[in-house]
Amino acid sequence: MDIRKVKKLIELLEESGISELEISEGEESVRISRHPRGAFTFASPAIAAAPPAPLPVATVAIGSAAAPSAAERKALANERTVTSPMVGTYYSAPSPDAKPFVEIGDEVRVGQTLCIIEAMKMMNQIESDKAGKVAAILAKNGDPVEFGQPLFVIE
Amino acid sequence: MSDRALVEHLADGQVHSGERLACALGVSRAAVWKGIERLRARGIEILAEPRRGYRLPAAVELLEESRLTRAIAPERRARLRGIEVLFDVDSTNDRLLNREPPPPDQALLCCCELQRAGRGRRGRRWFAPFGQGIAMSIGWQFRAMPRDLPALGLAIGTAIARALTRVGARGIRLKWPNDVCFEDRKLGGVLIDLRAEAAGPVHVVIGVGLNLALSASARSQIEATGVRAAAIADACPATPSRNEVAGRVIDEVLAVVADYERSGFTPHRADWSSLDAFANRRARVSLGVESVHGIARGIDAEGALQLEVDGAMRKFLSGDLSLRLEDGVD
Repeated sequence: MDIRKVKKLIELLEESGISELEISEGEESVRISRHPRGAFTFASPAIAAAPPAPLPVATVAIGSAAAPSAAERKALANERTVTSPMVGTYYSAPSPDAKPFVEIGDEVRVGQTLCIIEAMKMMNQIESDKAGKVAAILAKNGDPVEFGQPLFVIE
Repeated sequence: MSDRALVEHLADGQVHSGERLACALGVSRAAVWKGIERLRARGIEILAEPRRGYRLPAAVELLEESRLTRAIAPERRARLRGIEVLFDVDSTNDRLLNREPPPPDQALLCCCELQRAGRGRRGRRWFAPFGQGIAMSIGWQFRAMPRDLPALGLAIGTAIARALTRVGARGIRLKWPNDVCFEDRKLGGVLIDLRAEAAGPVHVVIGVGLNLALSASARSQIEATGVRAAAIADACPATPSRNEVAGRVIDEVLAVVADYERSGFTPHRADWSSLDAFANRRARVSLGVESVHGIARGIDAEGALQLEVDGAMRKFLSGDLSLRLEDGVD
């Protein structure tokens, strides 16, 4: 498959609210996911219902630009990965029409709210435990997240 | 003249002339008129009767610390480190969340007459007509993350149901996760904010919103947002005292949080199940644009909703879920 087409698909996925996309063309098939495969076990039907790939699948980690996978990022020094303390839904802003708590490149202080994780109407305000710059945001508004899933990289 | 002072004079629901109000409050009639306009701008309906004066559509029992705390058992009242009864505030939850948490085993209470930006789930507004509901928050700090923390809201639901039963309500039910219902209509809800440090103490703020007695216009305003509304008064032989309802709810909520770190959700599961408005009914769970249809089969030990879908059990712990009865009833 043409690499430009794959790039286009990544952009498409980024713009949309969907977390995984699979396209089959003849013998070729590509699956693009926002989440590291295997690390993602949230029981959302949208994920659970994804059919097993019938053909050899090229997995494209969408993270290379916007959302690097946790494994890649952990190797770097001077960085802190903020993980989710619970299973829930990731919200980047206090309300649907409000500005996000933080954006990439923002300077944050210790105790500053980075996002909210909601489970059963419990709004968990996730704070930065390190002062620094937001280097990466690893989840998207409305994403289901797992316990321990990396959410932010602060450097 | 404070807005609260003006409202106190109008609270009896009787007609008060501008002149009498001005005299009682020690201000000019123009100041009274301005005060009335200010209250109206805040969403309080005030009727003007030509040549007679102003009145509220109905009498309102304002919240008072002394009356409210009378309904709280002494051992629980001793846990209340701070009580705020405010006239208006953006959000009682935000106010407590932005303050220092209380020491473990002690609580902070904040209640108000007017919430400018009361929050429902996901930033949706919690609409509370003046004097017809109860909006309050209780701040608490656990020494460490209690197990079953996500189910705390369900346990709070059972506390509210007990409190309402104590003031004479019958037929109170709970809808997963955090709605309080009467005859499949929503009369209240719980929203919990939480701040936690890794392996450290957990600061929770438990927000409770309840409809006490709704006027026809307030009811239609709420129903215009797509929610079938009920009020505590609908479930009672007579409208109970607003201060007593608030106090009883605080009493029961404090009993639950004081024990939650030790006991978790386990002691509340059977209570919740016996109050489950949806047990064994056909229901739909919405996750964003997608819907899952099935039969609601109660909750599991962690408080997750169980939905039987084509003979298999699916569990829902989070996500943007809303539960709807299949017959179109909310």
